[in-house]
Amino acid sequence: MTQKTQAAQAADTAPVALNPDPLELDDELPSAFSKVKLGPSHPATHGTVRLNMTLDGEKIVECIPEIGFLHRGFSKSSENATWHQVLPYTDRLNYVSPILNNVGYILAVEKLIGITDTERSKYLRVIGGEISRMCDHLTCVSAIGLEMGAMSAFLYGVEAREMLWDRVAEMTGARMTTSWTRIGGVATDTPPGWIERVKETLPRVLELTDELDKLFSKNRIFVDRTRGIGVIGADEAVSWGFTGPALRASGVDYDVRKAHPYLVYDRMEFEVPVGQRGDTFDRYLCRLEEIRQSARIVTQAIEQMPPGPIIIDDWRYALPPKKDVFTSIEGVMAHFKLIMEGIHVPAGEVYGFTEGSNGELGFHIVSNGAGKPYMIQVRAPGFPIVGALPRLLQGHSLGDLIPIFDSINMIGGEVEQ
Amino acid sequence: MTTPVKMVKVEVDGVAVEADSRDNLVEAARRAGKAIPYFCYHPRLSIAGQCRMCLVETADQPGRLQAGCQVKVKEGLKILTNTPAVKENQRGVMEFHLINHPVDCAICDQSGECKLQDYYMEYDHQPSRQRTYKLQKPKREELGPMVVYDAERCIMCTRCVRFMDEVAQEPQLAVVNRGDHSLIATFPGQPLDSNYSGNTVDICPVGALLNTDFRFKSRVWFVEKSPTVCNGCSNGCNTYVESRGTQLYRLLPRRNEEVNQVWMCDEGRLTYHETNEKRVEWARKGRGEAREDIGPALALDEARRLLAPLKGKPGLALWISAQCTVEEAQGAFDLGAQLGASKYLLGGKPAGKGDEFLVRADKNPNRRGVEMLAQAWGVKLEAGETEGALNGVSALVAARTDGLGLHLGALERIEAFIAIAQNEDPAAQLAQVVLPVNSLYEAGGTVVNYYGRLQRSWAAIVKPRGDAQPGWAWAGQLAESLGGARAVATVQAAFASAAAKAAPLTGLEFDAISEEGRVLPALLPTEFPKRAPRPESAPAAQPQA
Repeated sequence: MTQKTQAAQAADTAPVALNPDPLELDDELPSAFSKVKLGPSHPATHGTVRLNMTLDGEKIVECIPEIGFLHRGFSKSSENATWHQVLPYTDRLNYVSPILNNVGYILAVEKLIGITDTERSKYLRVIGGEISRMCDHLTCVSAIGLEMGAMSAFLYGVEAREMLWDRVAEMTGARMTTSWTRIGGVATDTPPGWIERVKETLPRVLELTDELDKLFSKNRIFVDRTRGIGVIGADEAVSWGFTGPALRASGVDYDVRKAHPYLVYDRMEFEVPVGQRGDTFDRYLCRLEEIRQSARIVTQAIEQMPPGPIIIDDWRYALPPKKDVFTSIEGVMAHFKLIMEGIHVPAGEVYGFTEGSNGELGFHIVSNGAGKPYMIQVRAPGFPIVGALPRLLQGHSLGDLIPIFDSINMIGGEVEQ
Repeated sequence: MTTPVKMVKVEVDGVAVEADSRDNLVEAARRAGKAIPYFCYHPRLSIAGQCRMCLVETADQPGRLQAGCQVKVKEGLKILTNTPAVKENQRGVMEFHLINHPVDCAICDQSGECKLQDYYMEYDHQPSRQRTYKLQKPKREELGPMVVYDAERCIMCTRCVRFMDEVAQEPQLAVVNRGDHSLIATFPGQPLDSNYSGNTVDICPVGALLNTDFRFKSRVWFVEKSPTVCNGCSNGCNTYVESRGTQLYRLLPRRNEEVNQVWMCDEGRLTYHETNEKRVEWARKGRGEAREDIGPALALDEARRLLAPLKGKPGLALWISAQCTVEEAQGAFDLGAQLGASKYLLGGKPAGKGDEFLVRADKNPNRRGVEMLAQAWGVKLEAGETEGALNGVSALVAARTDGLGLHLGALERIEAFIAIAQNEDPAAQLAQVVLPVNSLYEAGGTVVNYYGRLQRSWAAIVKPRGDAQPGWAWAGQLAESLGGARAVATVQAAFASAAAKAAPLTGLEFDAISEEGRVLPALLPTEFPKRAPRPESAPAAQPQA
């Protein structure tokens, strides 16, 4: 938990009194710390979170984030759902990049069962996941601008995001609540003409990304408000449990896709951008660069993707084709059992982890062999980072709060589960 | 019969376990926590070896598949249930069983509790390889009043045939025709009309035999199971009642080796209808045209207004039905004492047919319990069914109205008649005040069966039906309004007050009564019906010829 700073403790107890410290006799008139609560529905925090601040004038003496407004009881709900019924709950973890959550969850379940999906499904998952990552970063980057007053830059970013979400919707049927993966594969294949549309979309997205780059990276106002703000060093970031862009901005080269390759990431050529200063600006830059790298991955995956089935042909895990369900007793039984009781995942526990858009997304899953999970816990990448918010904000002025808060990209859905 | 049990050491897939020397391989594996699948084997029936699903290997004859149901264990035997040959056999057997099986899950009552479904997913899980038409067989043969047969779903395990031969001992079923044209059939002109025919539906591992009473009424995963005791006769067969909302859907036997083994009779299966149909829903006053639903508080007021002036007067009688639970009877005797009743009548359902197995002639679940409490209260119970039993009665309080139908003429003349009634029977129509009571299945409670076994029923329905309350609650509230002690609020407290009164119940607690129930030694008789299951402490059965 947050350690109360000395100053804050003093603020709790000390009345408005003369400061006895002789060295501070030159100070201006003594004044009380003010307590300000930001949120939970403040327009500039794009998560539903309340920040309880103690301010010394404009200076943040202490900030205690209060989370839980978006708590949905993910873990507990999952215990009352079949393995596949958990999938819609994962959509709502990081709702800006739901496919990455779908993939992360299903990979963990598959790890526990000990099966792998089909070759084509692996590529589809990578494509869907990377498109989601681009959406997530575009949202975050342009929102940083928006909340500092750059409305038009936000519109560029959201135009790109919406184009990608259109592609996601064409493939999965939903912009955000995709529930697209299945144990052993994915639910839907690319619709006709989709690949071509992606090939048209990506250059336009990159164009808009460059536009954002131009608008922000050398923008005096933007740089002044982000460079050297919210700095955290590599060691400290690691000890706080940072992962993802926030960790890499501090100079640690850790990306699950490179460190522990899964799906077909080992066949992809891409760079992992690493920052140097660990400040808000580097976090912004890392995200911006990752958009470009994700586009590279999508392009390669589209080229390499083989034809073939999108889900394994094992009726213990995958629903039988409708033709078999309607015409054979074997099919109808398999369908009935899979829907009514759920897939039987062997008893045991597993920790499956993937690179989510905000860092390492981990699922700790325990099964007792039944059709429903015994327990599911999520390592939400945003959680430890939000935990470090008081540390990041320390000593900064109130005006720096929003850029810092934006750059760590808190997503209420995953942090508060 | 009483050969000493010899234990032998066996190994099941490497797990060492002690098995009874009379065990077959299936039971020995069960002791080791390993499941050998089977359709036709039933622990209480003879071995048929029909289904071939239980074939396993043993280390002493490697490569040779043996029927797990037929082969007995021996010292040092190593059973292998997971070898490739076993797995391949299970897959193949499932494929054969499904060859002619219709695509019926969506319309089949067994769906959700079907062994074919379970085993298919566990041991086969492969697409159909069949490219020809399936064999068509009779789809809805009414074998008897309670059983419908679907030959297409039947896998010819013959459990039903063996049950009728060996347990019901009324051989009414047989296998006719040969090969895949085989059918289960009755003999011409002899329907499956045994009182135990419903059990064939229970032991049918697939959806071939269906209960006409339950057929198409509910999907099995929509109903909640709760343990209860059948109130159809004084045997008190242990059952599960399945319910949804305020409706009950079926009764299924629950295992209790000392009461009903795993069976129950057809009459008993239908007893839940009294809970669903023709119920007194609301507390009311008045007869005929003057009838008015007035709710529990006003109805109690009205009952008090009628009874208070008659307290202690001669001619005030209490009618207690043997359908009452122990708690209800305790409440009724307490109310009787409060009223100063001068006459106690024991009513109940009229006696019917009994047999040597599970059915008793006394059709009331708790006659022994009511008699036990009457003795504890020092009250002389008069038989309610004798003619003129109500002569000289000017006011009557009835704890359940069973048997009062014999005295309708007398009831019409009674000044004050308060009925705690479950169903709209002719007697309830004549009451000035009617207080609706929960059934045994709805509210739970304890009953004492014919040989003195105290058994508990768990409440099946949480949603209240109309104004219905348990009988002990009505009796307690009425007694309280007449100046008695504060009414008990829970069934636990109601039972505790009975336990404090009646010596055979001393020291017992309601929540400590297990699903098996317990024998009250003081009530144990010396003779039992010939084939009836009996407690261990009872005299042993005569060896059967």
